[in-house]
Amino acid sequence: MSMFFQLIRQALRDISLNPWAQILTLAAVTLVSFLVGLGLMIVTTLDHQLSISKGETVFQVYWRPSADPQSIAEQWDGIRQLPGFFHIKTFTPAEALRELEGRIGRGSSAKNFPFLRDQNPLPATALITFTPDEQDYERWLREITSYLAGLEGAERVSSSPLRDEIGQAWRKVNSYVLRPAIIFLTLILGLVVGNTVRLAMLSKAREVEILRLVGAFNWYIRIPLLIVGGLQGLVGSAMSLFILRFLHLHVEHILNFPPILLEIRFPPLQIVLLMLAVPTLLGVAGSWVGLGQPPSGRAFRRASHASVSDKAWEQ
Amino acid sequence: MIDFRHVHHNFNGRPALRDCTFHLDKGEVMFLTGPSGAGKSTLIRLLFADLPLQYGTARIAGFELDKIRPGQIPLLRRKVSFIFQDFQRVLLPQDTVYNNIHLPLRVCGIAKQHADRRIQAVTRHLGLHDKLADPCANLSGGEQQRVAVARAFVTNPQVVLADEPTGNLDPELSVRRLLELFKFFQRYGTTMIIATHNPELLRRHPEGRALRLEQGAITRSNWEGAALFNPMAAAFAPTGKN
Repeated sequence: MSMFFQLIRQALRDISLNPWAQILTLAAVTLVSFLVGLGLMIVTTLDHQLSISKGETVFQVYWRPSADPQSIAEQWDGIRQLPGFFHIKTFTPAEALRELEGRIGRGSSAKNFPFLRDQNPLPATALITFTPDEQDYERWLREITSYLAGLEGAERVSSSPLRDEIGQAWRKVNSYVLRPAIIFLTLILGLVVGNTVRLAMLSKAREVEILRLVGAFNWYIRIPLLIVGGLQGLVGSAMSLFILRFLHLHVEHILNFPPILLEIRFPPLQIVLLMLAVPTLLGVAGSWVGLGQPPSGRAFRRASHASVSDKAWEQ
Repeated sequence: MIDFRHVHHNFNGRPALRDCTFHLDKGEVMFLTGPSGAGKSTLIRLLFADLPLQYGTARIAGFELDKIRPGQIPLLRRKVSFIFQDFQRVLLPQDTVYNNIHLPLRVCGIAKQHADRRIQAVTRHLGLHDKLADPCANLSGGEQQRVAVARAFVTNPQVVLADEPTGNLDPELSVRRLLELFKFFQRYGTTMIIATHNPELLRRHPEGRALRLEQGAITRSNWEGAALFNPMAAAFAPTGKN
């Protein structure tokens, strides 16, 4: 265990021995991670805007004013169990009246509409949001529409076909473009970080050869280099995330005005963790590959080229 | 300590060593001479397990080179040190003299207080004790060579292989110091093979074994432990394998 800590100390000492090489490698890792993070932030924002706000099928169901409130409440519970259900916003007649008041002005219904106190004409309504499965969408739409229209006391069902179409289109884009884009960006991140660390390891070639010559085992040589590679990946990606977060805080609402109303979103936790894990692992992998399997004593072959004359013997 | 028996070595079918046989006991010093391309480096590389043994048998510091596994090579190199002629390639220039010398002790996991004692002893012999904190890059060529020598001896190796160790040393001061160091370690049982063309080393070390290689064969020696090349025996030796 003490040897392991010694190797960690050695790794940190190695960093301090070649600070500029480490800083440049770190800068390259940070820059690439940042650019990839920027791309992921754009993709996340688009995904959120289109998939969450428009990638839905929304139904508005109106019940007759005479419908039984108890029965309607039971139907709302039943709706929550439907396939693809995402969200329901319900309005009892009293709630609908309060909502109406809220839009008109302050005060209670008794104050604004005293004549409606006992004869509220507003129906019970529900705004139901579904995120249906794409494969059997048409069948699903028919079945849900038919189900909602057949609810006891239901008077009218309307849906949002435009949002459906955009949502469907986005889901296709999502499956054909978005996921490959994330994979592509991650791949770029991996390749650049891995190669940058690998190139940085070439500068350690002499030290590695010397260590082999003085009897160091493979693991003794590799562990500090793997730690350095992993640290470069981790610190570089963490720095890029800090910069990205800083940028996000400044541009979050920059496009949040009509008619765009686009809130720039920071990548979700899973993506953030991926952005930390991928460069770290690839830093380690880059160190491993960069170190390679040098044949024992390469320095020996280069250094041992003495051409000894026979002067000594002649003496 | 070193037993080299009927060793042949070929590079692309060209013989580099031919039927070499010699034996060195603990604490003996052997000077290896011969013209360029005679096979001195090949012999030393074989002893350092840098080349696989093709034919014959060899034993050094308890390791049988014809049977050695790659995983054993680091263990061998903890007992067998090497001093390069091109010493600058095996030093870390940005690192201090202390760290460069300490490297093999660190690899062996030797405690710092023991390591410090050994480093002090070796560097005092070589006149480097007041330069331990200096980066190697700030030293002269001769001083750097002494750092490489110190690193080879600091582990108390059983065998030291040296390839032209005096190439960059100050002829008066440092050769004398190097020889003192050799003699000091020889007293403690370190066996040494020194490839050199420096007549001073042989002159000041008359009791040393001397072995001359020509075209891969031992043509002269000054002790009975080395067998001179026998063309008849070599005629039956295996050839052609790389």
